[in-house]
Amino acid sequence: MKIVIVGAGEVGFHIAQRLALENKEVVVIDKDPEALKRVSEHLDVQILQGSGSNPQVLEEAGIKSAETVLAVTNSDEANLIVCFFVSFLAPGIPKVARIRSEEYNAYREALAQDPLNITMVINPDVEVVNSVLRYMSAPDVEEINEFAGGRIVMVGKYLQPDSPLKDLRLVHLPEKIGRKRLIIAALMREGQLIIPKGTDKIKAHDLVYVVCEKKDLEQILKLFGGQVHSLRNILIVGGGKIGLGLATALDNKHYNTKLIESDPERSQYLAARLNRVIVLHGDGTDQELLEQENIGSMDMVITVTGEEELNILSCLLAKRLGAYKTLARINKFAYMSLVQTVGIDHIVSTRLAAIYSILHYIRRGRVLSIVSLKGEQAEVLEAIALETSDIVGTPLRELKFPAGALILCILRGEEVIIPTGDSVIQPQDRIMILSTRKNIPLVEKSLMVKLEYF
Amino acid sequence: MRWRYILHIIGALIICIGLSMLLPLGFSVYYWDQGLVPLLQAMMVTVIIGLSLAIAFRNANSKGFVSHREGMAITALGWLAAGSFGALPFLFGGVFSHPVDCLFESFSGFTTTGASVLTDIEMVPKGLLFWRSLTHWLGGMGIIVLSLAILPFLGVGGMQLYKAEVPGPVPDKLTPRIKDTAMLLWQVYLLFSLVEAVLLMFGGMTLFDALCHTFGTMATGGFSTKNASIAYYDSAYIQTVITIFMLIAGINFSLHLQLLRGKPLIMWRNPECRFFLGLFLIFGLVTALSVYQANYPSLGQAVQYASFQVASILTTTGYATADYELWPSLPQYLLLLCMFIGGSAGSTAGGMKCMRILLLLKQSYQELIRVIHPRAVITVKLGKQVVPPDVLNGIWSFFILWLGLLILSIFLVAATGVDLVTSFASVLACIGNIGPGIGGVGPTDNYAMIPTFAKWVLMWCMLLGRLEIFTVIILFVPEFYRK
Repeated sequence: MKIVIVGAGEVGFHIAQRLALENKEVVVIDKDPEALKRVSEHLDVQILQGSGSNPQVLEEAGIKSAETVLAVTNSDEANLIVCFFVSFLAPGIPKVARIRSEEYNAYREALAQDPLNITMVINPDVEVVNSVLRYMSAPDVEEINEFAGGRIVMVGKYLQPDSPLKDLRLVHLPEKIGRKRLIIAALMREGQLIIPKGTDKIKAHDLVYVVCEKKDLEQILKLFGGQVHSLRNILIVGGGKIGLGLATALDNKHYNTKLIESDPERSQYLAARLNRVIVLHGDGTDQELLEQENIGSMDMVITVTGEEELNILSCLLAKRLGAYKTLARINKFAYMSLVQTVGIDHIVSTRLAAIYSILHYIRRGRVLSIVSLKGEQAEVLEAIALETSDIVGTPLRELKFPAGALILCILRGEEVIIPTGDSVIQPQDRIMILSTRKNIPLVEKSLMVKLEYF
Repeated sequence: MRWRYILHIIGALIICIGLSMLLPLGFSVYYWDQGLVPLLQAMMVTVIIGLSLAIAFRNANSKGFVSHREGMAITALGWLAAGSFGALPFLFGGVFSHPVDCLFESFSGFTTTGASVLTDIEMVPKGLLFWRSLTHWLGGMGIIVLSLAILPFLGVGGMQLYKAEVPGPVPDKLTPRIKDTAMLLWQVYLLFSLVEAVLLMFGGMTLFDALCHTFGTMATGGFSTKNASIAYYDSAYIQTVITIFMLIAGINFSLHLQLLRGKPLIMWRNPECRFFLGLFLIFGLVTALSVYQANYPSLGQAVQYASFQVASILTTTGYATADYELWPSLPQYLLLLCMFIGGSAGSTAGGMKCMRILLLLKQSYQELIRVIHPRAVITVKLGKQVVPPDVLNGIWSFFILWLGLLILSIFLVAATGVDLVTSFASVLACIGNIGPGIGGVGPTDNYAMIPTFAKWVLMWCMLLGRLEIFTVIILFVPEFYRK
């Protein structure tokens, strides 16, 4: 399976890295020799120097025998031209393009049709906005992910010492929670990811990942102890595409939203586009401005400028001045593990978002969505159980499922099943599987090994 | 400034005015009344003077665009000419004893003010009455817009003329060519006028009365052919038709155009229109509730009279079905407020215009926000559109000039010995192009007893109000004449 990646920037690099680890044949094209050097030094992939929008270069990369083309350069226009030539040179092969401009995204149908035929347009900015909104929907959790069109959620939350679940063995969990169905998917204890067995105990200050139906979420979060907070006063720092997208989503709602932007012209533009959101011209690290705008009473401070150092600083400042929750946009992967330790509550990343959407697309066996847990040690796969798959038709307790992998939930039509050992997966069921990273190929195999017969 | 070229255009305009006297002439012939000879005389004089101006300056340099300044000069002089020549039929007909009264009636007509110095309207020959109402109709959509539509040579640089006559805070050009815009506006105007005239005839009016009242309504003028104004027709149907068409005339005509082009929600989406109709509904409702039982026994009647009067004053028409000076003071106050506000920009109505009031209110609110958040970036928006700061500055200076000229004119009128309430009301009613005010110029009174000098001041006010101040006042700024 050969995959051509145009653009060796942060996104291209990390996708190439993931795919190479999964034993796929990857060709990376970029104009910049420096970027290519980094790729070739770190990854086992083929590199090709040249412009991806040059059809000759594409041919050289063997576009005709490729299975998928990913156009992930920084320029929307370049990505469009790549797709244009690919559909000419090798009609029919799937194309994934990163398109960030709002103007193009308003005409997605045009991108999906002749002559471009883009199979999937990914817009990381929109996805980042969505994940921020998701965090806002449950502010007290560390992580929240949605599956099955939002009916199932998986949240990660620290267990408070006053929780009734403290020091409970998982086998006794059903007695505590009564009728509500939930599954403890994973525990994070002292930086270590544990996929728990029935005899494991939950301890205070564990980061507990729970899967449940969305309608039960509020009830279940109460079991974790601590106070439940609702958001009202929001401060957004940075009025770029993400800042504007967020502010637009919060505009005309019950939030009191303020948006700080340092560029005077951009702030004029923002003020013109927004209705009830108050646009402030200034610097997100200007303490005087933050105090003037009463940052101490903010329920959430979201820093989404293009400069991650500034985002981190603003968040730390906000936290010190008394803001309840902070969220920073970070791009450099090196910063991500660092940020949590200094006290920033959530991070979002456009590159990570782009990578996940592309990986989700590339993964075979009809995997529907993919999410990573904190520190990226595990992923959640959402898949449709095929009739020919090994996992169908046997009670779960008898299933030889790889260790370190767990079935979180089964969706059968409109029905949601939080499984027990006696549950049986039927064909066409949608299942959610949690797996540590190194087991993903095994899981994929058990999901689809018989698919090869088609 | 190419004065010779300007006079050439004015000449052409005067010919148009003269030719438009053919219409009342037709009615005069039909009724065979005393207006025939004066109308013929007036038409001859007007056309001859217009022709001689146009011919004398035919060799003027007409190359290139009409400049901004020339546009203003043409518009201002054009209106002065229209008002002056429009007075000729009254002068030759001997309707008034004093020539100033003829001018006053003519200016009041063209500027769609509707303030009259006639004490017994029904005595005047029908042909002259028709001319009196026709001046409303011509002035309503604008004589310059009319000439842009019909005079071929005005096409070049017509935008300058259009902007000078239809100033509004934000000019909207509906088509790429200004000539087509002018044509479209007149077509919509004509269409609504025809519909209203037919509806009024269903209510029992003669063709003559229906047309005259249509002219008064669509131009938001207010001249009637009856001494008692609309109250003469004691008909709920006629009052309702006129109420609706007054409101139509008070809405921006480009909205009507878009509505006719098949955008049914445009009225609701347009913030100014929403503001205008909202004001009408709220003021109408409050007025109806306060006159119910106090003046009218039934709620239906209260609503009918209140809505008519609020629409009449808000759109600056000035038709009367009731003597609102007998109403309680709350509705009187609301009507006074309506006089200040006026109709929409781009309509035939006068006043300060809803758009300006709305933007001033919005900006003031934004300034309050700025006090709370000193670093906030403030924009004033109309719908989804940001209003640029220079437009807002323009509105503020308009507001100040408008108030300043109002105060100055009240001083001048009061100086002639008119009582204070009447001075205030007459100036407000003239600068707002309304017609009836309160006090000595209330709905049952007229302007006949105002001293001559005050009449000159009021004529000046009407022109200021109709051309929205800048176009007129600019002629008195020395800088305007500098090379």
